[in-house]
Amino acid sequence: MASRPVELAAAALCAACLFLAAGPAGARLRVVASLPDVADMTRQIGGDRVEVVTIAEGGQDPHKVPVKPSFVTKLNRADALVVQGLGLEHAFLPALLEVAANPKILPSGPAYIDASVLIQPLEVPTSQNRSQGELHPLGNPHFNLDPVRGKLMAKAIAEGLARVDPAGASAYQEGLARFTALLDQKIPEWEKLAAPLRGVKAVSYHQDLIYLADRFGIEMVGTIETKPGVPATPGHLEELIDTMKRDHVQLVIREVAYELPLAETVAERTGARVATISSLAGGLPGTDGSYVESVQANLEALVRAVQGGGAS
Amino acid sequence: MDPHRIGAWLCAAPLALLAAAGSAATNDEELAAVKAELAATKSQLSATQSALERVEQRLDGLEAGAAAPAEAAASSGPRIPPVNVDNPAISFVVDTTGQTDTHGAGWNFALRSGELFISAPIDPFLRGFATINGSSEEGFDIEEAAVVTTALPWNLTVEGGRFFADVGRLPHWHDEALPFVDRPPSIDRIFGGETQAEGGQVTWLAPTEHYISLKAGLFNVIGADPNEQLRDEGFSGYRNFSELTVLVHPSTYFDLTDTLNLELGGTFFTVAHSGQRYLYGVDATLRHQPGTSSFYQGLVLGSEWYWNDEEFQNVDPVTGDPLPGDQRFHRNGGYTYLEAFLGRRYSLGVRGDLAVDPAGASDRQITSSAFATWYPSEFQRLRFQVDQVNEQHAQNDQRFTLQWTAFLGSHSHGFTTR
Repeated sequence: MASRPVELAAAALCAACLFLAAGPAGARLRVVASLPDVADMTRQIGGDRVEVVTIAEGGQDPHKVPVKPSFVTKLNRADALVVQGLGLEHAFLPALLEVAANPKILPSGPAYIDASVLIQPLEVPTSQNRSQGELHPLGNPHFNLDPVRGKLMAKAIAEGLARVDPAGASAYQEGLARFTALLDQKIPEWEKLAAPLRGVKAVSYHQDLIYLADRFGIEMVGTIETKPGVPATPGHLEELIDTMKRDHVQLVIREVAYELPLAETVAERTGARVATISSLAGGLPGTDGSYVESVQANLEALVRAVQGGGAS
Repeated sequence: MDPHRIGAWLCAAPLALLAAAGSAATNDEELAAVKAELAATKSQLSATQSALERVEQRLDGLEAGAAAPAEAAASSGPRIPPVNVDNPAISFVVDTTGQTDTHGAGWNFALRSGELFISAPIDPFLRGFATINGSSEEGFDIEEAAVVTTALPWNLTVEGGRFFADVGRLPHWHDEALPFVDRPPSIDRIFGGETQAEGGQVTWLAPTEHYISLKAGLFNVIGADPNEQLRDEGFSGYRNFSELTVLVHPSTYFDLTDTLNLELGGTFFTVAHSGQRYLYGVDATLRHQPGTSSFYQGLVLGSEWYWNDEEFQNVDPVTGDPLPGDQRFHRNGGYTYLEAFLGRRYSLGVRGDLAVDPAGASDRQITSSAFATWYPSEFQRLRFQVDQVNEQHAQNDQRFTLQWTAFLGSHSHGFTTR
């Protein structure tokens, strides 16, 4: 009987070791997503196997996301990090990863899932010169606005999740198949909805609509920003307004993260209409962080403005 | 039975059996042929399905501008900005000021800081960085040259070399990263410039949902001026443990609402040798970050206060004037500031500061400041600051400073200077 406490302690130690060795078996994969689009896709693909938290919110400018310490603890405990990639998160993610003390989710780590790996970037700068504004050196990173490219993002995410959690590979493939089928069903509907946009000339606030324009046939003429990330100067605005009048530009597309008054002023002086869209999922009312809902809401806003439904 | 009929049956039966056998053979062959045809059709269908999938995949790829998604998936890792592995990230900051005051001393144009910053991963376990700074006032100095671990277990990070010790909030920020044109006078006097230090520091991030960070360091001395003094004295590099400066800095953070958050920190450092120095500090930063696109973009209310209890041996650390014997001084000071961010590129702020000398006559100075900042782009900044300086033993003064700062190269603010 004297050895009883020792036996109990040994048993407890063994149990503790087994518990620790077992790790998070049965627990859901803790995923941090940098932006709402990749967060929603990860939820759609991962289903019950993943628990997703998002750093940026839909209405925010991805170049200006606040660097909060509460994100550090989430990254520290994450099993995987999903990013949209092409440097879109450069303003906040490197600073957070610097102190998150989680090597596996660093860009060189196995649990860093980059949704851009299957995307062929557009507008890749031919020179790295800041006189051209704040260019993304790997190309324009706003490919999430094109739902066909959205399928490639989803595929990259599913492959990344399977790499991190091989036991769930088939579940992620099923999730991907479901999500892709949904997009395959929606894309023809969206193309029909967006038919009035084909050939429409537009300016945007920031240079982030190339993929959307490419998909739905919008002709981008310029931006309100002087250069990417560089605010409008009076001279640039005068030049832009002249160009818009000459080219009969119909639309001023204002991304919800940017100020409305300047977009309205430009529209008033040119006879164009303002359409407010969101470059991130969940930025418009009623979209609730959903990628599919956000594509729908963006297209509806654009079509409404083109068809004379007033500023949206 | 008629024998002819029996005979006929006897003849017919084998023929019937033969015919039946022949018929069965024909059925088997047909069955085999149908099976083969089915297998071939299935094979063709499978091939067609595969081809269809490949075409669909190519179509997706072509529609999305990707040449060969499957191959790309097999060969692509995460996309990271193209940095030559043999060359570190390099940035250079040009920080210039023009200043005048009501004392009528004239104008002073200065290169406040020309700062070269270099950083790079060294191997999978370590990164390194260095800051070389030159200024009109202080000449050239290697402000920082240090290495930081990146893959230690248990949420530990170790930093070693010469770097700005993690004291409070602003004392370890580089000049160009401060929200004002100058280092708050209270911080400048208590620490002697930035918290430059040579030694090592360990950071532990608590493995909890709530943010708690604990830093502990061991240094020769903390502060740019004390470090320079040490070097000027021909410091040999050896000291007793009790003569080293020990630093402890816990900090935590609270999301009060979705848009309002509070960060709290405490600082304690000591030179244990005969109780030579004890410094206590608290820092608090309240941020409102609505993340909206309206004109009002947010607000920061920051404050730090330090209590310094130090024994000086015969020499005033600031003026170098002789002091009558060893003396102990209890001094405290700090600042509070409020900065509002308007639009995407503008901010306005005010600051109040109470500064005293850590030894000798306190020379209390109260500075009230207002400052306005404009970022023409992310990499260029213009700031104008007006200071009302009320000094205990000098004539009051109004100071006007225009600061123009430009960031060349791969400049980015880290977590600590967010």
